[in-house]
Amino acid sequence: MRLTPRIASATLLGLAIVLAVAPGCASRKKVSTQGQLEPPPTETTTPPPPSETTPPPPPSSETGEKLSLEDAFFDFDDFSLRQDAKAALERDGKYLESNSGTKVVIEGHCDERGSVEYNLALGEKRARAAKDYLVSYGVPGNRLTTISYGKERPFDSGHDESAWSKNRRAHVVPK
Amino acid sequence: MDSNSRNRRRPIPTRGVAALRPRAVFVLGVAALLLTGTFLSTRVLRAQTQVRIGVKATGTMKSPLLLARFRGYGPVGSLPNQGRAIARNDFELSGVFVVADVEPVEGKPTADPSLAGTVRVEGIVEVGGGGGFFQFRGQAIDVGTGEMALERSYPFTPGTLRQTMHQFVDDVLEALTGERGIAETKMAYVKQDGRVKEIWMMDYDGENGRQVTHDHSLALSPIWAPWGSELAFTTFKRGNPDLYLFDLNKAASYPFSTRPGLNTAPNYSPDGKWIACTLSRDGNAEIYLISRDAQTAKRLTRNTVIDTSPSFSPTGREIVFTSNRTGSPQIYVMDAEGMNQRLVTMEGSYNDSPQWSPKGDKICYAARHDGIFDVIVMDANGANPIQITSNAGHNENPHWSPDGRKIVFSSSREGKRQIYMMNADGSDVLRLTSDGDCFNPSWGPRAKTRLASRS
Repeated sequence: MRLTPRIASATLLGLAIVLAVAPGCASRKKVSTQGQLEPPPTETTTPPPPSETTPPPPPSSETGEKLSLEDAFFDFDDFSLRQDAKAALERDGKYLESNSGTKVVIEGHCDERGSVEYNLALGEKRARAAKDYLVSYGVPGNRLTTISYGKERPFDSGHDESAWSKNRRAHVVPK
Repeated sequence: MDSNSRNRRRPIPTRGVAALRPRAVFVLGVAALLLTGTFLSTRVLRAQTQVRIGVKATGTMKSPLLLARFRGYGPVGSLPNQGRAIARNDFELSGVFVVADVEPVEGKPTADPSLAGTVRVEGIVEVGGGGGFFQFRGQAIDVGTGEMALERSYPFTPGTLRQTMHQFVDDVLEALTGERGIAETKMAYVKQDGRVKEIWMMDYDGENGRQVTHDHSLALSPIWAPWGSELAFTTFKRGNPDLYLFDLNKAASYPFSTRPGLNTAPNYSPDGKWIACTLSRDGNAEIYLISRDAQTAKRLTRNTVIDTSPSFSPTGREIVFTSNRTGSPQIYVMDAEGMNQRLVTMEGSYNDSPQWSPKGDKICYAARHDGIFDVIVMDANGANPIQITSNAGHNENPHWSPDGRKIVFSSSREGKRQIYMMNADGSDVLRLTSDGDCFNPSWGPRAKTRLASRS
């Protein structure tokens, strides 16, 4: 019984947040969808959780505008940029163009298959490929840093292609 | 290599359960003979008299070892039985002996030429010279000649019993074969707990697992310095994959290479003066040699592809490594100066994690085939690749024992990755770890000699 008031107030608070946020979400539906971390080729319905290595950034500044950086996804044992990866990075480039104060870290990630050492090198390749593409798009290199986590920080801990396809990525994170 | 082992070779990717092998048949035969106590029916043993104890460094046959019940004099409780169990396991794991349990024999040993090639080991535990200490007196007797191959006393406390038994067994191995055993060696590995991965170490038999690093981050790829009191490893504790050295005597770690980008995949030169590793400060994973004093760095590879996982040959003149210059990872060898880089794996589309054997004649690595990883051993020039694991999950991260008789590796055969050891031909697989997610095993060096220093 002692907990009841707290539950009630939490429910009210939650309702208030939903009410406050809902109109904004609806009006930016397209942007919001783009912001999902979802590899295009798979038909999964649940978006992978955000990176655990870097907490997701808070909504930026007074405008309440949400960051909508996208990740680039890769094929197995490959660091070449697919068409969907290039498209995602181009949208990132646009975003960074209009948010010239934003610096990002590009994390290279791999799926669980293969050695720790090879995947650290492969993740580095993926992060660098994404960085090079953003630079060629026009983003100043000094706003982009890279790091490889190899296979050590998977987004999905599953052991099938559905998980692996989410884990092979260049994860673009605001600094 | 004898003709038996050559016949046993199975080319990649042939897999399947091998039928009883010639060696296994012999071992089983000898074991059955010994265990039934019919020592005098020695036709089998005589037929195998070419099995001179330990003469062959990588023999494919095991010698019979009669391990006597250890005697206890005075208030020694269960120490004789405890000690014997440890020694028995060590003799079995040596890969040199097949052990039979016998009763102790009093008095001077006598020659029994019909049992040539057989060793008898006796042990006595007694109360030492006061202070609650104990003493172990061990003997190894060449039964065929009646000669005492080793007779030695070891003071110990209950807390050092395990280490004392390991030392005794390695002394026996050294006395009989001229080469120390591996019972005193340790292994380092990585254990995952939640999101944290730390370096751990354990005795070679899986006992005494203890945490080495406390980085609360990602600590990976441990490798032993040749002198045995230092590990090199990669850690993310400062946010970047950096190379650190861990001094096991001081229980402290020191930054070794913290260049921008990758500082990964360390491997010591046999003389301990250099650490080969992967750096990406040039924009791409390249293999470097960095002097152990960190004063000098030499770049060995130059290209736009991945080069990583270097491992020195035991002479220090060559380095085996992984490169994906053909589009997928393959095993290459180069001179230690970076010259003469050449592909050595002729089979398979994905070969990685090479390590040169301590004797220099073999290279082990992990190959991906049909979506499965398995351990392969090949000649150092790439010939005769033999798949030594099969049908048991993914088997990766192979690493030689310092005597070259065994390989430690990680396997998912029972679910989460654990550390296993096996003979270098894939037989006698034994799990060493049981909790968490364990990988990246590295087998530590052994002491050069202990017998030479005995009084």
